[in-house]
Amino acid sequence: MNTAMNTKTRLPDKNSRHIAPKRIAQLLTCAAQQLDAPTVAALRQARNVALERQSLSKPVFALSTGHGIGWLIPHSTHQWVATFILLVAILFGGVSYWQHENDLSHLDTAILTDDLPLEVFVD
Amino acid sequence: MQNLLIIAFLLLGLTSTPAGAATTSWHSLTPVQQESLAPLSQQWDNLPEQQQHRLLRTAKRYPNFTPEQKKRFRDRLEAWSKLTPEQRDAAREKYRAFSKVPAEKREQVKQMVRQNQEAKEQPSASGISAAPPPSKPD
Repeated sequence: MNTAMNTKTRLPDKNSRHIAPKRIAQLLTCAAQQLDAPTVAALRQARNVALERQSLSKPVFALSTGHGIGWLIPHSTHQWVATFILLVAILFGGVSYWQHENDLSHLDTAILTDDLPLEVFVD
Repeated sequence: MQNLLIIAFLLLGLTSTPAGAATTSWHSLTPVQQESLAPLSQQWDNLPEQQQHRLLRTAKRYPNFTPEQKKRFRDRLEAWSKLTPEQRDAAREKYRAFSKVPAEKREQVKQMVRQNQEAKEQPSASGISAAPPPSKPD
């Protein structure tokens, strides 16, 4: 309480708007040095808690996280399994499409070159 | 999980590229492709992209055809391209079913078709017009 009173008595009331920023910093430093140990400990703890919360609230997803393509790599077993299933599905779809188109092309060639006329197969 | 969704969209984008590609102009075809698809030179640029791709895939085998097959291919190409996709699908289905018939029976059918064709060609060749088919009572 005495410390607070001392600080208050040193601060000019009327000319507070004209105090230079450096002077404010000096006053704050001076006031911080005069704080008692429990207050300093409480402030330090509060600061640590705030920093921990800040690290938890970092973005879950961002296109550019500053870590290259690390975000593309699955980070858990579930993600690895999901990626594998996805890739297999895409591969299977691609092969099926190619196979289907190849079959159609073979059939078209056969129909267009067969010794039976086209009218036999077309309604 | 959002990362996986992004990957999925990227891969889908890559795999769907052929379907979304632009049509191929007649002038960009190779001489062999132009020779095999010559009957379609006029309408080629207006054909749907998928039909162009299928015809190009079919035309790849053209250099390996016999002269008779080449003639048939070129003669039928225009009629084939004018069919609707459903008609082409139906024709493929018929051909697939016919190719499963035993070779012996298939030859019999071919023989019958040949005889029918000869019978149709004979009257016109001799200058006698074919009699109109009898009208069926409804």
